[in-house]
Amino acid sequence: MKNSERLTKAWYGVLVLLMALGGWAIIERIRVGLVATNLTSETTWGAWVAFYIFFVGLSVGTFLLSTMFYVFKIEHYEKIGRDALLVSIISMVVALCFILLDLGRMERFWHTFRYWNFTSMLAWEVRFYVIYIGLLIAELYLSMRQDLIRVAKGTGWQAALARFLTFGSTDLSEESKKRDHKWLKILGSIGIPIAIFGVLGGEGMLFAGVKARPFWNSGLLPVILVVSALVASIALLLVFYVIRTKLMGREVDKEMVKSLAGLLAFFLLIEAGMEFFEFFVGAYGLQDTELATIETIFQGPFSWLFWGIQIFLGVVVPLFIFFNPRLKESVNAITLAAILVVIGILGVRFNIVVPPLIVPVLQGLPWGYYYPSPVEWLSSLGIVAFGLFLYTVAIKALPIDTVEELREGK
Amino acid sequence: MSADKKWAMVIDLQKCIGCDACTVACKAENRTPPGVTYNIVITEERGTFPSVTRVHVPRPCMQCDRPPCVQVCPVKATYKMENGITAIDYDRCIGCRYCIISCPYGARYFDFGLDYSQEMVGCNEVQAPEYGVDRGKREKGKSPIGNVRKCTFCYHRLLRGEEPACVEVCPGDARYFGDLNDPESVVSKLAASPRAFVLKEEMGTKPRVIYLK
Repeated sequence: MKNSERLTKAWYGVLVLLMALGGWAIIERIRVGLVATNLTSETTWGAWVAFYIFFVGLSVGTFLLSTMFYVFKIEHYEKIGRDALLVSIISMVVALCFILLDLGRMERFWHTFRYWNFTSMLAWEVRFYVIYIGLLIAELYLSMRQDLIRVAKGTGWQAALARFLTFGSTDLSEESKKRDHKWLKILGSIGIPIAIFGVLGGEGMLFAGVKARPFWNSGLLPVILVVSALVASIALLLVFYVIRTKLMGREVDKEMVKSLAGLLAFFLLIEAGMEFFEFFVGAYGLQDTELATIETIFQGPFSWLFWGIQIFLGVVVPLFIFFNPRLKESVNAITLAAILVVIGILGVRFNIVVPPLIVPVLQGLPWGYYYPSPVEWLSSLGIVAFGLFLYTVAIKALPIDTVEELREGK
Repeated sequence: MSADKKWAMVIDLQKCIGCDACTVACKAENRTPPGVTYNIVITEERGTFPSVTRVHVPRPCMQCDRPPCVQVCPVKATYKMENGITAIDYDRCIGCRYCIISCPYGARYFDFGLDYSQEMVGCNEVQAPEYGVDRGKREKGKSPIGNVRKCTFCYHRLLRGEEPACVEVCPGDARYFGDLNDPESVVSKLAASPRAFVLKEEMGTKPRVIYLK
């Protein structure tokens, strides 16, 4: 117990430190503007946009998983269904922080609601985000409602919070439980198409719709975004589940971890196959800009990101672990593989955003070059730490683990 | 100025000598900050020795009739004016830079807030009255800093009956400016020439800047 308390303190310490560094970077960015970044008029989107699409993907991926658990009643995974919804909401908050920071005039963010350009993917995205976040919050609330009532009977600040959130309701009947489940199912059924086509498909269209950048201008790109988002989400949920369970001193459900790992390997293979065709079709067209973009990814100054992180760490090593008869039995090895997968997908996001902006749109225009500045790195770390902080506080404050499960654990 | 005018520019590549006077005139006229160049001249070397030629292609904003930048702007800050010019509303633009990404000609630039104060005294004292709006001094935190900027066909000069600065300054007389709605105008006649072409026609952007081979 003593040990875990020290660990908690250390964890909060690290997060607060990172958030302080990030806070300084954000203040610097607000003070001097976007000169604080290494962005230029050529490579005008960079790390923040890459993180933004990474977290939007993570949000949609985790949401899809959790609703699939609820809608299709995959009880096997329901243990992490609520956790997935929480991760989904927090990912969205983190993503919006990133994109807000990226605006040249942050104070005008509300213009995106006030003025609406029908043909702009970005304008549609913003509106889908609002609907989507509302849906996520409603889903999480409904899935927790019963447990909130149970918690409200206790003492302490968690109970007070729960009493506030339940608005004094004490309805624990079978009937109310059924009603909650019915609504979860309805919201999930509305949410799935909104998440796939609106939030993440729109995200893909944001890039795929840009004809000036042939590398993006492909019908497969939105699909790759959806599949890779699922990959990253399964991996992250697995990591969170294992770490959290181990820290709480409970027993890891090894069968569930193993079957999640199987699901992860399955989607990872599909994603790798799609990426293969994306590059193959692109290169086969022999279009100059497309070839130059692929060359930048394969042989440019940051080719290590593709070969080292995206392919080797993100695909080869995890697949080796998932298919090795000894390693695939080990929870630790699987967790390591899942962490690598998440890092790999982050590489995928950087390689989607940056390389097409390195190659000039007209021959003779200057080539771009981009590596994030210290302000971009620190602010990104700070925002991610903020997300982890929210997560840590939320799992403490809200009944994210089902109460029955906690009882069993004790 | 009557609303039925549709402005266009014709650039004769045979007459362009690649002196970059247009680039300089544009910078002086529009007082653009470092990193923002509405007009540039792209120079390409063609052929192998001894049959080598250089081709100079001046590149302002193409003022497309089907502009991808207008298509993607989330807040309608960039839009087509009736006179054919693609405009940016600096007071509405949120600086998301999606238009820069989508422009097939690289004609858009982000104003990072830099200036020439190291090189020039009083460089921030006055700004060009772009789109006919007088914005006074260039000051930190005020638009167009933090906005996307591009060539305006010198709309503020058109308003007082003058040609764009690049057209006026061109020593080779390679640039023509006029009304495409008027079939008798010089630009209309030149645009109908078999030498006429536009950059990246396959993009479907329908540029209002027409080149002569």
